[in-house]
Amino acid sequence: MEEKFDCIIVGGGIAGLSAAMILARADARFLLIERGEFCGAKNVSGGVLWGSDLNELVPDFGDSPEGFERFINHRRLTFMDDQSAFSLDFKSAHFEQTPYSGVTVLRSKFDAWLAGKVEAQIEQGTHSESSFLATDILVQEVIQESGRVVGIRAGGEDFFADCVILAEGVNNLLTRQIGIEPAYVPADHVAVGVKEVIEFDKSVLEDRFQLNGRSGLTNEFVGFCSDGVEGGGFLYTNEKSLSVGLVLGMKDLREKKKAPQDILNQFKEHPAVRDMLTGGKVVEYSAHVVSTGDIDAVPERLYDDGVLIAGEAAHLLLNAGKAIQGMDYAMRSGILAAEAVLAAREVSDFSGAQLSGYQKALENSYVLTDMHNFHDAVKLLHDPMMFGAVPNVLCDFGRQFFTIRSEPGQKSRHMMTAAVKRHSSYWDLIKLGAKAARAL
Amino acid sequence: MKRLSISERLGLVSYRNQARTDAKAHIEVDTDICNSTCPHQCTTYVCPAKCYTLDEAGELHFQFEDCIECGTCMYACDQGAVKWSYPDPETGRGVNWNFG
Ligand SMILES: Cc1cc2nc3c(=O)[nH]c(=O)nc-3n(C[C@H](O)[C@H](O)[C@H](O)COP(=O)(O)OP(=O)(O)OC[C@H]3O[C@@H](n4cnc5c(N)ncnc54)[C@H](O)[C@@H]3O)c2cc1C
Ligand code: SF4
Ligand code: SF4
Repeated sequence: MEEKFDCIIVGGGIAGLSAAMILARADARFLLIERGEFCGAKNVSGGVLWGSDLNELVPDFGDSPEGFERFINHRRLTFMDDQSAFSLDFKSAHFEQTPYSGVTVLRSKFDAWLAGKVEAQIEQGTHSESSFLATDILVQEVIQESGRVVGIRAGGEDFFADCVILAEGVNNLLTRQIGIEPAYVPADHVAVGVKEVIEFDKSVLEDRFQLNGRSGLTNEFVGFCSDGVEGGGFLYTNEKSLSVGLVLGMKDLREKKKAPQDILNQFKEHPAVRDMLTGGKVVEYSAHVVSTGDIDAVPERLYDDGVLIAGEAAHLLLNAGKAIQGMDYAMRSGILAAEAVLAAREVSDFSGAQLSGYQKALENSYVLTDMHNFHDAVKLLHDPMMFGAVPNVLCDFGRQFFTIRSEPGQKSRHMMTAAVKRHSSYWDLIKLGAKAARAL
Repeated sequence: MKRLSISERLGLVSYRNQARTDAKAHIEVDTDICNSTCPHQCTTYVCPAKCYTLDEAGELHFQFEDCIECGTCMYACDQGAVKWSYPDPETGRGVNWNFG
């Protein structure tokens, strides 16, 4: 390659493509390298893309819905024991206005669509012949000269740039190569996600889930679904399919000696889930590691001389109980990384000191602010009571409360006392409640 | 809905370079460690594609062909037996997700 690029981005997932969009808008000359046959070919998510950052990248995306599946106006959180499901359910017309605050996506389609938008943006600038999204190429190595990142090696060729953004996702081999994260990342820093996409006749899906046009439902699950392993389940509506899966703590899975695909079978056979899946056809089974969202897993420094780390490669993700937020975090961090590159270009200084502005911007954004603020909530989710006693007590209480026998009934507070005694103790629940009150 | 076996599930996966018989392995496992000092052999159950299996004699075997590139074994193995990398787009296996 003749001339060096302003920036090289490794990874054409959400973080990488978001950075690319910002660079293309600023008419910077860059190279994005993705190992998949096309952007999205290697990526798995649940997937709800939360928040409104997508609207910043692709204004009015909601008006031309080729990229996303459904916008979310209906949310449900379900506590389950082996027989029962006790849900909090919220649906609102407030969520129907654009820009939507949550859309379901299938990554193979969504990432490819976003890549198309980036390419269209490149076309409008002066680098239409010299900025590239290159797919089907694996970056093997980051090139460093006297401790400074100067480029990358891919397919036996060297490419150079003022700055490299590593947006390689959670399995961040290059971030480890340059020592920003240790070579071995222990099991308690990550979880494993398993998932199926289950196809339906569109009208069956719409009737079953009360969908209206492009509206959609998200349902998260805790309790029986994870078979005693730390974690939870999800069921999301796509245009013509459901995404159904689990996120399971890796260390806990290892210790409890369970296989993720077996737990997924059991989850799908729970009476409440089974009835939602009737008549569907599984069209894909997938799995991927996902960060736990614990800020302790985030490397201390997300920059160095000539390099920035964005998205899940930096373990930026929040899972504080009500949603998994990895894609919006990837999007925002990709945007901020590109902005830091542009600021560095202004002053022709790509040193770590200059690029540290990226980390400050993350601290000032919802990304690191929320990861700090909800750290206790993330920790609380690791408490075995959260996926054991709590759902069991709620389902037990629900069963008593909603049962009508032809005999004198009990007051609900007696039912609750009995349910608590069967699965836990008031004292344990009070302790947990106090922790939760602080955490949320 | 019928319960799916792991082979039925993997049958739905689009693998790359499926016709290649000489595909290059992207993960190397030092099975001497697995079969001598490993206290848990956890990869035999945590791998969602069942690439790590035990034979009748209790020996652990690894095959990369069914690997769906999730990354799990790289973290779950705390014994230093797994050398993990991404498949080469041209000469390796790996996945092409249709939905993701
Ligand atoms: C089962 C599951 C459910 C999830 N649910 C949700 C959800 O509902 N909502 C949500 O927001 N998040 C969810 N997440 C998390 C979310 O998927 C990730 O946080 C997000 O994809 C991270 O985006 P990224 O761009 O940082 O990384 P990725 O999407 O992983 O992209 C990284 C890219 O880099 C490429 N790459 C890596 N190394 C190289 C290399 N050496 N050379 C070239 N290319 C390379 C990869 O092929 C990939 O395309 C879920 C994850 C899982 C596994
Ligand atoms: S955990 Fe590691 S050492 Fe143990 S069996 Fe699995 S790969 Fe081998
Ligand atoms: S990366 Fe995942 S699918 Fe591949 S061998 Fe490891 S655990 Fe199994």
